[in-house]
Amino acid sequence: MTPERTRVASQPNDTEGRAEVASTGATAMPLPPPAAMRTVSVDVHYGDFRAVKDVSLGFARNEITALIGPSGCGKSTMLRCLNRMNDLIPAARVRGEVFFNDRNIYDPGVDPVEVRRKVGMVFQKPNPFSKSIYENVAWGAKINGFKGSKKDMDDLVERALTRAALWGEVKDKLGESGYSLSGGQQQRLCIARAVAPSPEVLLMDEPCSALDPIATLRIEELMLDLKEDYTIIIVTHNMQQAARVSDMTAFFNVDLDGQGHRTGYLVEFSPTAQLFTSPREKDTEDYITGRFG
Amino acid sequence: MSHTHDINVHFHGELDALERKVLGVVDRAERMVEMAVRSVTTGDLDLAEEVIGMDDEIDRTYFEVHQEWTNLMARFQPLGSDLRKMAVLLQLNITFERMGDQCVNIAKTTRFNDGLPRVERICDQIREMGDLVRPMIRTAVDAYVRSDVDEARLLPAMDQPVDRLNANMYKETVAVSDNKLLLEWATKMMMVSRALERIGDQAVDFAEHAAYLVTGERADFDEKGMAPAVDGNTD
Repeated sequence: MTPERTRVASQPNDTEGRAEVASTGATAMPLPPPAAMRTVSVDVHYGDFRAVKDVSLGFARNEITALIGPSGCGKSTMLRCLNRMNDLIPAARVRGEVFFNDRNIYDPGVDPVEVRRKVGMVFQKPNPFSKSIYENVAWGAKINGFKGSKKDMDDLVERALTRAALWGEVKDKLGESGYSLSGGQQQRLCIARAVAPSPEVLLMDEPCSALDPIATLRIEELMLDLKEDYTIIIVTHNMQQAARVSDMTAFFNVDLDGQGHRTGYLVEFSPTAQLFTSPREKDTEDYITGRFG
Repeated sequence: MSHTHDINVHFHGELDALERKVLGVVDRAERMVEMAVRSVTTGDLDLAEEVIGMDDEIDRTYFEVHQEWTNLMARFQPLGSDLRKMAVLLQLNITFERMGDQCVNIAKTTRFNDGLPRVERICDQIREMGDLVRPMIRTAVDAYVRSDVDEARLLPAMDQPVDRLNANMYKETVAVSDNKLLLEWATKMMMVSRALERIGDQAVDFAEHAAYLVTGERADFDEKGMAPAVDGNTD
């Protein structure tokens, strides 16, 4: 990694998260909104091999941040660090710090379940449970200790499905299986399930890769609506999707060592409009124009 | 990264072809400027008709480029420097089409002025303006092709004498205002002067696009203080 790359986002005391972006321009830019999450010098190891090295990033509140890069660059690994999903992978180790509301979520004493309640996740393939539409949404609240009445739960399910732009399509068949829905509807059901416990951050790991273009468009529109209430971090292989929905984009690249091990690293973290028209780094330019080996 | 290879070969091939088509108009536009100026300063009606006919080819290319540009955008959705080049090519396509239109305006003036007396001093000035704007077009093209920002920055200074001569045209017209026929002729030559001044401005715009392609930053050369306006006429 070059010193320039290290400078891009390594600011351990930077509570604003992406102040480094604002400070690089010659003319004054508006102050960025406060960061909901930030990572400081994060490394991820799987056993002896380092999958991601030295990533420092700030995710601004109520913005969408896209993580892009070639296969094996560690963007999904990085995403899973943000709600301790890597804890579930044997031999995975995370070094560095991940701050959520200024607390390191890897500190001893932090409950990973509580982290995942505040930092929800939507996966690549829609994965509803083999339960009713209603139960799919209610589940998220129940495992997080929901203690309200049946009416309260009904209200919560309606709110979550409305927030996921699905209520109108399912309100008359809440008892039907989640599998009865189309792929796009299933993904919106998963989003409803993710927002039901009232998280602050939504992580999305290629949420549209299994969907047709119309269903993709609906999810993208939904993301733009959801950012009013949530901080969204999305991993996508689709650069045009990142360009359409995100405010900030982080480009990761990958180094290959002599043994064929791939280690991902952060190349550039810029406002999306800049990164896709006039990127600062040549590696970013090569990647987004297809001149990449 | 020690080396890169292009995995977007088809798009880049088509982008190069589109660029060649856009820039292929430059020679014709440059020749039209020379012929239009010669026709209007000598009263050569045949030459004027030839210029007007040449514009059809530029218009045809304009529509073809627009169609191909739209197809490329829809199919490939380019990013980075490819996107910047697409943006610049669209703008250049419009610029060359308008240069052609300005040449047609000049050529049509030859028709309108047919049979009227001429003032040779004004004709000399129009020829001088033509001799100044044609190298501007060529310099802007060279700056674009060579990705040479310094060469692009030469354009505002090259445009200054054109602006100065255009501003002087008003005085030349007033000077012949006692003679009704000469005044009618000179008034139309003011429009010729204005058309040449616009072509000069379009060449400056072209150079700004060439610089943008390299730097990724939009810059108005005038606002950067590289070429202070001569007569306040900046449009």
